[in-house]
Order: sequence, then C-alpha cells, then structure tokens
Amino acid sequence: MVIATRAQEGPSQGRMHLLDRDKIQPALDLALAEGAQYAELRLVCETTNSASLRDGKLHSAIPGQEVGATLRILADGAWGVHSTTDIASIPSQIESTVRLAKAVALRRNRADVGVSLAEVPIIQDELHWNAPKDVREIDLETRLEMMGQVHAEADDDERIISVRCGWSDEHLHHELLTSEGMDRTWSFQRIMTNTMVTARDGDDVVSYRSRTGGEGGLELIEATDLGNMGRTCRESAIRLLSAERAPSGKMTLVADRDLTGVYIHEALGHPCEADLVAAGDSCLEGKLGEKIGSDIVTVIDDPMIRGGYGAYPIDDEGVDTRTKSLIENGVLTDYLNHRETAHKFDLIPNGAARAQDGLHHPLVRMSNTMIMGGNHRDLDELIEDIDHGVFACGSRGGQVDTGRGSFQFAAQEAWLIENGELTNPLKDVSVSGMTLQILKQVDGLTRDAALAAPGFCGKGQTVPVGDGGPLMRIKEALVG
Amino acid sequence: MESARAVAKVCESNSLQQWEVVGEQDYGHSIDLEAGKISLAAGGGSGGLGLRVVEDGRYGYAHLADASGAQRAVQDALSIARKSPSIAGFELPVDSGSAATSGLIDRRIIDMSSDDILEQADEILSSVTALDSRAVVTGGGIGAGAGAEVIINSNGIEDGGIHTSHGFGIQVGIDEDDHLTSAYEGSSSRSQLSDVEQVIERAVYWAQITRNTIDSGEVSDCPVLMTAQGFSPLFSMVVPTALMGERIAQGESFWSKRMGEKVIADHLTIIDDRIMEGGMSSSSRDGEGVLTKRQTLVDSGRLQSSLWSTRDACRMVAEGKVEHAQTTGSASRGGYQSPPGTGCGNLLLQSSQKSHSRDSLIEEMDEGYIVHSVMGAHTANPTSGDFSVTTSMVLRVEEGEIIGSLKQAGLSGNIGKALAGDLMLGDKIRSNGSYSSGSMYLPDVLLKQGLRINPA
Repeated sequence: MVIATRAQEGPSQGRMHLLDRDKIQPALDLALAEGAQYAELRLVCETTNSASLRDGKLHSAIPGQEVGATLRILADGAWGVHSTTDIASIPSQIESTVRLAKAVALRRNRADVGVSLAEVPIIQDELHWNAPKDVREIDLETRLEMMGQVHAEADDDERIISVRCGWSDEHLHHELLTSEGMDRTWSFQRIMTNTMVTARDGDDVVSYRSRTGGEGGLELIEATDLGNMGRTCRESAIRLLSAERAPSGKMTLVADRDLTGVYIHEALGHPCEADLVAAGDSCLEGKLGEKIGSDIVTVIDDPMIRGGYGAYPIDDEGVDTRTKSLIENGVLTDYLNHRETAHKFDLIPNGAARAQDGLHHPLVRMSNTMIMGGNHRDLDELIEDIDHGVFACGSRGGQVDTGRGSFQFAAQEAWLIENGELTNPLKDVSVSGMTLQILKQVDGLTRDAALAAPGFCGKGQTVPVGDGGPLMRIKEALVG
Repeated sequence: MESARAVAKVCESNSLQQWEVVGEQDYGHSIDLEAGKISLAAGGGSGGLGLRVVEDGRYGYAHLADASGAQRAVQDALSIARKSPSIAGFELPVDSGSAATSGLIDRRIIDMSSDDILEQADEILSSVTALDSRAVVTGGGIGAGAGAEVIINSNGIEDGGIHTSHGFGIQVGIDEDDHLTSAYEGSSSRSQLSDVEQVIERAVYWAQITRNTIDSGEVSDCPVLMTAQGFSPLFSMVVPTALMGERIAQGESFWSKRMGEKVIADHLTIIDDRIMEGGMSSSSRDGEGVLTKRQTLVDSGRLQSSLWSTRDACRMVAEGKVEHAQTTGSASRGGYQSPPGTGCGNLLLQSSQKSHSRDSLIEEMDEGYIVHSVMGAHTANPTSGDFSVTTSMVLRVEEGEIIGSLKQAGLSGNIGKALAGDLMLGDKIRSNGSYSSGSMYLPDVLLKQGLRINPA
C-alpha cells in the first residue's frame, strides 16, 4: 500500500482508495453470514507535519503518516471491535470479531435491551473539503517563517525568558464501508500554530499561551496577524507578573469568547452527549424539552462551520453532518447522538459520531459548540452595572463531572470589575459551578458570537474541537 | 526487531553520520463498561517506526508505518536535519553496557484471552452491586495487553524489551432520591492486578460518603488532606516540569537558580526511579537508549539534580545556559511518532519523618477538609506552580472526625509553596496510573498551610 504525501498524488483527488473493495466487501458479507446484524470497516490515513521553534530556532520538525483501521461488528445486540495498523489482516479478523460480539451478548441480562442502530441514508460517494492552500504543499521554510513572526514580537522584552512556538497540520483521509452498502470516502485538513511565552521578574515566573487555526489549509494562518498574536502573548505575560491573585467567592463573572466557549463545552456540551445520558452519567437525562437556561441562552453544535477546528463533513458512522440546536431560548432541544443512541432515544442521528483516529471506535462527541449572540453591544455595556466582579479571558482548559453536573474552567488572565470599570489585573482565576444552576444565571450576551481558539477534548479519546460564543455575563459564579 | 533492522540497513546504505531507529508494537484486549453492563469488547494491535538522524550536531526526525517507507523517511529526516541549528557536541548516545529491569512482564497477562477479560468485567460489575445494590458502574473499562519496543543506533546500541499491562477504571454512580453521586477509581499494573476488590470498595465508599452533604462553609485557608488519588494529578502537572534540567536552565521553573538550596520541607525527598521493579514507567533504557537509574532529585528538601536528555543537555551547554550538563537517562518519548524529549519515569515523594495512617492524619488535622479528586488539574500552571481547581469529592473534618461532604468546592494554592510548608505524609504509597509526565507514586499528604477551600 502506498500513501501519497503530496496533494496531486493523494486520495483526496478521488483517484485512489486505500481499502480494496474487492476484499473488504466480501469480508463484511462474511460477518453477516456468521450471524452479525451489522459490520463496518473504517480507515483513516493521517498525513501530518509538526514543527516547533524554541527561542527562534528550529527545535523539531516531524513529518509522518499514520494509517489505522477499525472493524466494528454488531451481533446479537452487542459490539465487537478489532483495530489495527495491519490493514491487510482485516479480512482474517472477521470471524473472531463476530465471536467477540456474541460473547458480550451472552453476558447480558435477559432484561437488557440489545444495541440497535437508527436507520440512516445509505450513501456511496466521495466528499473532499479541499483547502485553498493544501497543507501537504507547505514547506518547512514557510512554517518556520510564520512561527518566526510570532516569535519576533513575543520576545521583545527583557523579562521574556523563553518563547516556544508550535505548528501542526494534517490531511485526513477517511473511508467507510458497511454491510448495509455504505461506501463513503471523505477528506479534510486542519492546521494550527501556537505559542507559549514565559516571563520572569525575580522569583515570579508566569506564562501565557495562544493558538490559532482551524479546518482548512495555510490560508487560515496567512489570514492571521501573527505578529499581533506574539505581541498579545508578550503583553499578557508581562501583565501577569504584577497581577494579583483573584478574589474567592461568589460574584458576577464576565467571560471572553474563549472562556464562553470552554464553559459551554464543559457545562452543557458534555452532558448533552447521548452516550453519557444512556449510561446514566448525565445531569440532563430526561430533561429534553425542559427549560434549563435563561431565555437568552441558545446553543448550537455545528461541524459544518468551515474553518472551525471541530469541523468535519461526514461523521465516523457515515452520517452527513448538520447543525444541531442543543438549547433554544433556554429549552433543551436535542442531544448529540450517534446511531446507537439515536435509536435508544428515538431521535434522528445528527452526525456526532467521532473517533480519535482509525484505531478507535466512534463515540458521541462535540464539534464546534457555540452560544449564540445576545443583545448587549459590547464589553462596556456588559459591565457598566457590575459593582464587583471579574472579567476573565483566555482559556487554560476545563473539566466536567457530567453525572453530578459540576464543572470547572480556568482563565489565563483576568481583571477585577469595580463600579462598572475594569481595574486591577488578576491571575489564577478559575470558575466552577453546577450546569443546571449556572445556565439560568446567564444574564448578558454581546451580539457578536464567533468561534474562539482551537481546542482539544478528551473523553478517553482526544478530538479537535472548536468552541466559542459572544462575551457572556453570569450573574453569580463561584470564582476561585 | 526485523522492521527496525530493515530501516537501520537503509540508514547504513545512505552513509548517514549517525542514526537511531525505534520501533513499537502492541496488542491487547479491552472491555468498555457502561450503564451497569459490558457495552463493547475490543482487541487489536498497532505499531510503527521512528527514525532520528544526526549530522554535524543537527538532527531530523520522521516516523513511518512500516519499513517500506524507510528511504523516504531517511530523506525527510535528513532534509530537516540540514535546516536545523547545529548543537556543538550533540551526538547520539553510545552503548554503555546492558541492564534489565524486573517486574515488567507477567506471563499471565500475555496468556489472557478476551473471554478472561470478559470474566473479569463481569466480576467487577457484580462486586459493585454486591457492595451496594444502588451502585452502578456508569462508565469505565478493563484492559490487558503487551507491548514491545526496540531501539537501534549507529553507536552500537541495539536493545529491545517487552512489557505487559493490566488495568481497569470504573465510574460508580448512586442515583437515589433525585441525588446522583459518583466516584472514579482505577488501578494499573505491569503484572496481573491484585487490588481489584480494594479499588471497587474505594469507588463505592466515595460514591456513598459524598451523599451525606452538609451546608457549605466560608472561604478558608485551612489544612487539607489530599488523598494520594487527589494529589497525584496536581503533583504530576507541576513537579516533573519544575525538575526538567532545560526548564531550570532557561529560568522557566519556579526552582530555577535554586540548585543546592532548600526548596521544599527538609524531611521530604523526591526520587525518580526508572528501574523500580514493576514500575509503570520503568525500563532498562530511556527513550534514546541510555541506561536508566534511580536518582534523587530533591534530597531532604534540597534540590540536588534535574532531569536531562542528551540533546537538551548539549543545547543548554552550547548556549551557555549551564556550565555542565549531561544525560541522566531521562529521555522520554510520546511514542514512535515523536523524537525523545525529557521526562521523569516513576516519581516518588518520601518523608524521613514517621508516616501516618489516614485516620491519624485526619485526627492530626483536627479541622479542615479531605479532598479525594479534583477537576481541572490540567489547568494548573506548571510554570508558577499555582492552581485553582474544583472538587466534588470533599469532606469536612471537625474535631478529627468526618462530619459530611460539601457538594462542591474550589481548591487553590501553589504546589511548590505547599510542599515547602508544614505537611505530613501518609503511610501508603499508591501508584496512580501514568500521566504524560510519568508515573506518580505518592502517599496521602496532609498540607497544613497554603491551600484555600472555597465552598460552593
């Protein structure tokens, strides 16, 4: 098997499949003959490049290719899975994987309902999101030059003791064949550059980081003001050197686009994942149609937002992606689901099945998750009537306990809000709360919703995601 | 080994100055648990190769799926090397003998079939229900597998090893009276697990005890007993990073310029033991083939040494950031897909003072909180040591007795400062899985100063 690294040779041009249909289709038919209800083989070929600069010098550059395939078989209402990098061995694994699924089924209680899959359109096609500037055409000099722009601005202060810049781009080629006759091939690309700036003053040492990128090619990075990205990191790191520790307690919080995004991802997005609902591990179980947020809260998850880091054209069960409205004016309207949970909850599959790569089976995952804009004009209008609060910016990540419905996220920097104005810079701000309480506390959103910086989401498997929204005000949040 | 040798031959035929080939292959079985039942059984394997080329102190790297891509990988790596800055004195490690680390293979794991793992999963599910009929395993899984690694370089290193692993983790939920509590516990080992029942008991205990919620108190700076499970994620996020030689030399560690000084309480010692028998991050060689060792990094509170890989050490010396540095056998890889960086193996926190049972630590604390797990440990700042996280597994202690659980609380402080303050260690060292920064072997820690609890 030869896998191309350059666009003109690659499978994305529709001239090449990596899976041999003449061998795989009979293998899937064999699974049915062995008693399976359903069988699929999904292959992912990743052509990747990463690079990093340390203090302006090339530190690493890694080109690579990964190919993995996962055979997933449903028999007697239970799943058996086989994953491998040895693609040629797949046909020989059919019978053992059917047996594995049946062994799982045998261990079920009689009362347990077996797995069934919601019906979806059976499609045979190819869909390629070709980037205007294909990542496979980027040379190392270009990557270094662009990271160099960030470094040059980030390093411009004697208190900056290190600048680390990173780069990653990837071309993802997917193929899915199923026993139902699905035969889909799709591809897309992602690109990202990031930087972390560390500043020191005596014994005080702080860092600030930033990312930019999304689904697409080099054009996304070219459209970014990289010098400004470096400058912002430098200025924020210097500011953090003299920032005070955040106050602790319940207070009004205003979040920037990054934190609004991580908030909605953690607090709402994860509990909306129907596999967690089905497992009894979501605080949103049984709440479809209920009012769980304030009137101004409308939330979507949309893999079709081109350029978002969580964008993809087809999900990993071959379902066309679509915009999912999770909350409309405070009412929970949908879960994210894959075919199994869609059947269980009698919902329409909405294209949320994602796997980390070819070696993992799909789970229910988010894509690009956003709170939609509200009526406030800008930050000034959001904070003008706040006597005491915090304006928090830049995400350091978050986490959620979906069952208990508690969440946490951390900001990179913040400002105290006093009498309607931003005053002292703060550091080490984290925010926590309970999903079902905090969504009702959202009482202000600016008009301009957009995706924020690229992110990654871990749920046993790691997938790229986008999230964002407008600036958001929470009337009362636990700030630490 | 054959694939790695095939790539090595291609390197030799290209007359490369120095080269290093690593290969990995693993296989295993796993079971997913969900909603009180087995949701999926899986098996399979994966592998690949990595190639590092060094020419005049410059290096390049490429990874490949199999040996058929060797020639292109050589050209890619060489092309990158020629664009990289030259580091004076940087060469790949030379073979300095051989060693073996014991306890990394358990034949019983290699012999485990998928039916065996299914049986174990069944036992876990029924054990949970037997302890508390309300308790359900809402998520988790169990897995067993084996992996093989090989490294060959142009300076005479040629070695390989096999390890096994067996692990499980369960999220146990109790949902009664419209009140859901849950707890996650897990364990992993190079040999067949021997503590499954204890881990299950802990998960059920924490799901049970956190049901007894009490009214929230006020924000307070108070003693906090961090259980080993609660402390490990925070410790692993901050301390290994602070001990990297490169970060110390660059001024990026809060322990920079403090070599030889007292940095934590003088009864504490931090050791990186890469040859620990059965250690989850043990191996006879590091990620670039250097023989590994047990090294004391902080001795009786004083910073004594730091972690180095070959390239970082040469680079910091060449740039004049340190006068002298050499590899400590601390090269770590994130897999064959990446070149070696620097990292720790099995990190131990020990005290020269008498250690204490959890009960006696609670008694000693008198008034404060017990924290068993935190959310957001990954948001801790490794540069400063500051953290601000959230916990739903927090118990209030008054007069040396647990009086109930808070529904949620914030927990903030600074790891470096907390370790330098008044603290006591528990008497049971627990392995808490492998993090990207290594494996942590920590006891319970009663931190009497430096932490703030912010009840929701």
